[in-house]
Amino acid sequence: MKYVDEFRDPALGEVLAGEILGLVEPGRHYKFMEVCGGHTHSIYKYGIDDLLPTNVELVHGPGCPVCVIPMGRVDDGISLAHQPDVIFTCFGDMLRVPGSNGTLLDAKAEGADIRMVYSPLDALRIAKANPERPVIFFAIGFETTAPSTALTLKRAKAEGVSNFFCMCNHVTIVPPLRALLDSPDLRLDGFIGPGHVSTVVGVRPFEFIPAEYGKPISVAGFEPLDVLHAIHMILTQIKEGRCEVENQYARVVPYDGNPRALQVMSEVFELRPHFEWRGMGFISQSGLKLSEAYADMDAEIQYGVPGIRVADPKACQCGEVLKGVIKPWECKVFGSGCTPERPIGTCMVSSEGACAAYYNYGRFAREREVV
Amino acid sequence: MSRLIANAASALAPTCDYTTGCITCGDVAIPLTVLRLDEGRGLALCADDDGSSETVEIDLVAPVAPGDRLLVHAGTAIARLNEEAPV
Repeated sequence: MKYVDEFRDPALGEVLAGEILGLVEPGRHYKFMEVCGGHTHSIYKYGIDDLLPTNVELVHGPGCPVCVIPMGRVDDGISLAHQPDVIFTCFGDMLRVPGSNGTLLDAKAEGADIRMVYSPLDALRIAKANPERPVIFFAIGFETTAPSTALTLKRAKAEGVSNFFCMCNHVTIVPPLRALLDSPDLRLDGFIGPGHVSTVVGVRPFEFIPAEYGKPISVAGFEPLDVLHAIHMILTQIKEGRCEVENQYARVVPYDGNPRALQVMSEVFELRPHFEWRGMGFISQSGLKLSEAYADMDAEIQYGVPGIRVADPKACQCGEVLKGVIKPWECKVFGSGCTPERPIGTCMVSSEGACAAYYNYGRFAREREVV
Repeated sequence: MSRLIANAASALAPTCDYTTGCITCGDVAIPLTVLRLDEGRGLALCADDDGSSETVEIDLVAPVAPGDRLLVHAGTAIARLNEEAPV
């Protein structure tokens, strides 16, 4: 398959792994964060960490939109789903995220009309098929997904669909990265930048990472050779004493992103003063809400939500995992109290989550090490 | 009891496949080929390499033509796969 097979070539992978070995200084420890959950999955699925020298460590970042949703927002969604006549729509991963009193799936079992959709457009289709009932779309995602929600809201407005509403939980990638870089308990040597977020926002927003924090970053694709190549690029920068933003994924990511997507987002959304992230607390200007022009489609305004802040479960260490301070298997409840079948924390719920990825792939490597 | 039903429903629900990741929630997009266009509505019918098709919003990458390869996330084409782009 074009653009896939070339990036899964084992022979090229071996060459890259060999060159990476030549780039690292023995005795020095390198710690790189892959920001995005998609990369976490590629790393475990293809065993990329097994190809790296032992002194190159990969830590998982906060780039899974499901994992960063706090319990209070799940509770707000459930309260909307229980409103009379409402059809509540959301992505599949979201259904199993625990709130303080159960999941959306529990609410569905209790009688709420909750439907899984693959896109906001599916939700709009449900609204058009049920004009007498309000349809609420629970929007989550980084800048990759936000334009999709924005375009659907614009379409609903243009087509005069008056029963379509949105509970907006979209988040932006730069503020949590800044929060991580400001965090004193995290020492990183570089970043593997998010690939598809960058198709929308471009590479430019990441310039502050080398400029202000002195860390190299390479925006990368999701095939195994993409990730290896990005690590190679970061190590080359370190070896040559450079520190800049590089674009490994130039076949898809333009330096300035997608201007049309940014324009649509700025029409439909505005920044919230602050938004709560699971395990990371409130981060200013990190979340999006609907703009004034779309307030009539904002489910939070039209229906009202409890908006009660709920502390994360005590046993759950998703916060430390999201910040890359601990590995998934170092969490007290990993694989015992918390499994993909019965998750406690969101990192285990979403297939993009670091814990789910590690549970499904990485634990076998760990078991080998222990044995 | 409701929890039991919910867990059973969870087992039956078309959840994400852990081997491919979640196409809707994470930073994941899939390459699709444009089959035909509904230009009036800004939509295109696109197919993946296995032949299954879906309706895709094309506003962000317009204009497109049948045969074009697009990178699609949550029902929206977010980028073109350009044959001439540096690989």
